[in-house]
Amino acid sequence: MKFDISYTFDALPRLFEGSLVTLTLALLGFAFSVVLATIVTVARTASKSRILAYSVAIYISFIRGTPLLVQIFLVFYVLPIVGINIGPMSAGILALTLNSAAFVIEILRGGLASVPQGQFEAARSLGLSGFALWVKVVLPQTFMASIPPLVNEFTQVLKATALLSTITVVELMRVSQQIYSNNYHPVEVLTGAFVMYFLMCFAVSRSASLLESKFEVKRA
Amino acid sequence: MAAGSETKHNFLEMTEIRKSFGDMTVLHDVSLSVSQGEVICIIGPSGCGKSTFLRTANWLTPADGGEVRLAGELVGGVPDARSVSTQTKELNALRARVGMVFQNFNVWPHLSVLENVVCPQMVVAKRRRGEAEKQALAALAEVGLDDKKSEWPDNLSGGQKQRLAIARVLAMDPVLVLMDEPTSALDPELVSGVLNVLKRLAQKGMTMIIVTHELGFASSVADRVVFMEEGRIVEEGAPDVILQTPKTERLKLFLEKLNITAFKPNSDSAGHPTMDSGS
Ligand SMILES: Nc1ncnc2c1ncn2[C@@H]1O[C@H](COP(=O)(O)OP(=O)(O)OP(=O)(O)O)[C@@H](O)[C@H]1O
Ligand SMILES: [Mg+2]
Repeated sequence: MKFDISYTFDALPRLFEGSLVTLTLALLGFAFSVVLATIVTVARTASKSRILAYSVAIYISFIRGTPLLVQIFLVFYVLPIVGINIGPMSAGILALTLNSAAFVIEILRGGLASVPQGQFEAARSLGLSGFALWVKVVLPQTFMASIPPLVNEFTQVLKATALLSTITVVELMRVSQQIYSNNYHPVEVLTGAFVMYFLMCFAVSRSASLLESKFEVKRA
Repeated sequence: MAAGSETKHNFLEMTEIRKSFGDMTVLHDVSLSVSQGEVICIIGPSGCGKSTFLRTANWLTPADGGEVRLAGELVGGVPDARSVSTQTKELNALRARVGMVFQNFNVWPHLSVLENVVCPQMVVAKRRRGEAEKQALAALAEVGLDDKKSEWPDNLSGGQKQRLAIARVLAMDPVLVLMDEPTSALDPELVSGVLNVLKRLAQKGMTMIIVTHELGFASSVADRVVFMEEGRIVEEGAPDVILQTPKTERLKLFLEKLNITAFKPNSDSAGHPTMDSGS
């Protein structure tokens, strides 16, 4: 069978729509995971609670020690059993969030460790504490130090969205499957999806590093 | 503050401050009383507890025993087993009026020079932006940084960073400023710029406690020099008395070690600016 690029081109409009869904899934999943991870990081550091620290550590090792596909299925099938019917899309985003949060917590831990103790002390000596101390002084520096690994994690999430095709979320991968199960040209269609995924990831990491170097110039 | 005017003496009252790290006692019931407008320089060998003592003054390091009062108000104390919380609103309000300047500047790298000075005013002193910026510009002008207001701290020299840290403190209208070796991390040629700022502050009547190894500065600016060793105040008094006629053998040794046997007050022997260059 000969590679016929016209099948790729014919698929492009629908692949593009699928890409938008993929991007939406990734953005939402990642955004929620950053919010969740930030809350956990602040709570864990500020409360100095041992129980919290252990729970987080256990959570992270569960997430890292099991396949994401299993986590996605679990969330998808468990939620309706406990009476929560939110549909595959929301379940998928939730699964991505829960998974990614574990990694973002680790990333933020590194970023937080790079903030010198003196930064906290200066803030506290000026009367900042609690919320203001974190929001005005510590978190901005934590995130600035975490930009490269966070961008990397976002591309991980973006690629992981393909797994959501297994729980019937109609994103780029599932759209591709729908197309080639009709035209029987999986290679051409998947090549299109392949390029789409690559372009999205490439655009994200390129614009991030541009942003970063611009920032460096501004501050250096 | 309620007890403001009549407590001219004992403006800051640190009583029997005790502090241990693990089983090592770093401060042995150290007391210090500071009047309003007084400039105190603390000297002493490395590890004798100068920083720790200074940091108990605003309860940044909570002591294990003793208490600190500022104009009669309790900054921190250990009245009984329930030690005072380090996060109370009252403590924050007090801290906002007690400035602290660190050896490593600790300016905030994610904020511009101006925002470094504006931020605590808005967050802690609840000033509106316009007022905070006005105050910030005045404070920056005072330390000679008004032309750097849009700069990022990373682009400043060490001396400029330290002057920024001082401006950040001054903008909060502090009644007391604590400084922990403000010039120790600076290249020699940048020291005088910072010391001149401190001299001007002293002349304006700012109450200050300064941990320093700059004996020339201490001798020309301090009202009182405090010599600490091994977690105790060993000698204190007027700078010329302390630095010229040390009573204890330990202080003599310390001064000799600092290589100032040829030191005379105002002689500028250590290469520091003379008093006039400050004005
Ligand atoms: N957070 C801490 N944990 C444990 N030990 C500490 C801590 N801070 C200070 N120490 C110890 O307490 C002692 C006094 O330290 P401090 O920093 O107050 O001395 P210093 O007089 O300021 O010395 P230097 O001139 O070197 O700054 C030192 O032996 C130091 O190692
Ligand atoms: Mg010290």
